[in-house]
Amino acid sequence: MSWPPMLMHIKVRNVKTNFGCWIPLFLFYPIVLAVLLVLLPFILIGIFIAWLMGYGNWMRFILKTSFTMFWSLRGLKVDVQGRKDIVHFSII
Amino acid sequence: MSDNTKKILEMLAENKISADEAYRLISAIDAGEKGPSESSRESQSKGDTSIKGKSKYLRVTVTPGDKHVDPQHADRVNVRVPMSLIRAGIKLTALIPPEALDKANNALREKGINFDVRSIKNEDIEDLIDALGDMQVDVETAKGESVKVYVE
Repeated sequence: MSWPPMLMHIKVRNVKTNFGCWIPLFLFYPIVLAVLLVLLPFILIGIFIAWLMGYGNWMRFILKTSFTMFWSLRGLKVDVQGRKDIVHFSII
Repeated sequence: MSDNTKKILEMLAENKISADEAYRLISAIDAGEKGPSESSRESQSKGDTSIKGKSKYLRVTVTPGDKHVDPQHADRVNVRVPMSLIRAGIKLTALIPPEALDKANNALREKGINFDVRSIKNEDIEDLIDALGDMQVDVETAKGESVKVYVE
């Protein structure tokens, strides 16, 4: 079973900046879910209008692919180390 | 030795086909005789990475090689992209407007590649991604950096 991204780690280090943080994405999911539930009537109206205008399939495709892309972000890692700069980004 | 293999060898002896063509034909005959189930079993036992679902990440690494003048201060890059993300991303190419695809086709034609980008189907993309498992790019730059692109 694949899980959604749970944590995001960002680290930037150069002459001026030394910044690093862990973002607990899993804490945002309940909030996002609650916001989506509140906005659900408007979203449904939007989807209905889009369907009537002939953009239904297009919208469904975009939503599905975006969701799949977000779900697949887990495991992404970018680590760049220069002479003076370090940029690290990973999603766990 | 089967009749087909004998014929191929005769054609090779008569210089009707090259050694490379003969090898490919004999390999194709061998694969056909073994049947698909046996060939797949064989590839599994060899640890074939092209099996669907096996490859998980596309890796791009840049590391200082042995010849690098200053390995301590060299640039290092380590990128790991999940294959599922690549699959989903490629599907988004369906949103590219036809005008842009025409431009891409024209650019390819100018380079001597007569290929219609629109002819790529979803199944082809899946096959292409699966085939990435066999790919490995290994480049040694003039600075002594080693660039590797592979799937793990």
